[in-house]
Amino acid sequence: MKPQHHPSQSWLLDYATGRLNNRFEALVRAHVTVCSECRDHVSFAESVGGELLAGLPAATNTSGDSDAALAICDSHEQLDHAEGQFSRAAHLGAVNDLEEIVTTYLNCSLDALPWRKLGQGLSLCRLSEQDGARMWLLRGEPGMVLPRHTHAGSELTLVLKGAYFCGSSIFSVGDIEDADESTRHQPMITHDGECICLAVTEGKLRFESWLPRLAQPFIGI
Amino acid sequence: MTEPMPPAEVIAMSPAATATPEMEREVETKLLVEVRDHASREAFKQLYDRFTPRLIPWISAQGADRQMAENVVQEVMVNAWTRARQFDDNKASARTWLYTMARNRMIDYHRANTRRQKAHDGLQAQSPEIAVSEDVPERAVISSEMSALLKQLPVEQREILLLTYVDGYTHREIAVKLDIPIGTVKSRTRLAFQRLRRALGETE
Repeated sequence: MKPQHHPSQSWLLDYATGRLNNRFEALVRAHVTVCSECRDHVSFAESVGGELLAGLPAATNTSGDSDAALAICDSHEQLDHAEGQFSRAAHLGAVNDLEEIVTTYLNCSLDALPWRKLGQGLSLCRLSEQDGARMWLLRGEPGMVLPRHTHAGSELTLVLKGAYFCGSSIFSVGDIEDADESTRHQPMITHDGECICLAVTEGKLRFESWLPRLAQPFIGI
Repeated sequence: MTEPMPPAEVIAMSPAATATPEMEREVETKLLVEVRDHASREAFKQLYDRFTPRLIPWISAQGADRQMAENVVQEVMVNAWTRARQFDDNKASARTWLYTMARNRMIDYHRANTRRQKAHDGLQAQSPEIAVSEDVPERAVISSEMSALLKQLPVEQREILLLTYVDGYTHREIAVKLDIPIGTVKSRTRLAFQRLRRALGETE
């Protein structure tokens, strides 16, 4: 799998520094797992962190000392052979099936989830929310067109199955669409088959037409 | 696999030596290789003395109080000893390895802290007017020696990296702090990394 659309460097940097909200973190991690290009970016961001760390001015009056640390080390009877995963880019890439990654994360199959049919060939499953970031699964039938909308915050959409068009771009399995307040779009599922996406959003979507706006309080999206 | 190493006392450079950042990086990595391959206590001490004074302000700047920062650093350095066998000098420098260990520990810290904060917020809702002393972290400043590389960046791009790495802001938080559109943060970050990669001779 070689994704063509990636999260911006800002998302990858936040992922590398470990500061993402858990929901965005899970989505970005799923993409990084199948995208060697983004693993390289994360690895590079970590090395920049190492350089910055080494360049920090040294603090004075640090109370710790190396002998005390060595005494603690000695109290460990043997060296730790645990497989510690230090790099956020390392050890990823072994699994190449996004649906498997996501169902493992959700701990159930996609079909077993409580999908809610919204009509017009669109189904939705709200998974969780944390600190204003909501995670969803969206399922669209072939040819389904979402109402045109903008955003009140960030939105990342990861394609798990099928593909959709957005303007002149096509988003296929493994691709991430990175949207924010400046994005105005109208995704359309390709005619080849259904499309399932994992999405994390901040804030409400801003629909341009009145019908989805009327339905929005009931859908919660 | 690894070339025979000189004793740790030979590896160490005197503070007076004029070392380039590349030499410093190489020395640190050789010290960690010594710890990994020969359980060298002397090499460990030198690594400890090099990194502890830098890790403590970095961790403090991201919200831990001084005592917490010192505890975290002690854990990181002990882990560097006990997990040294996992260090692969073909994949990372010692400074990157130690940075990622410290960062992972801080992720745990922030997650635990978020849980504590939520519990604390719940308590506050029940008991208003509880005074909470705010531990304002000291802002760490990047020293001149590192940042030949960073100095090549336009100030607005450098600012984004410092706010991210040193102060621990997300790109969304940076947009709010600097009162600029999120798209501007994204483009500055992208341009900063492009320049850094070029400066290091890496492909983008």
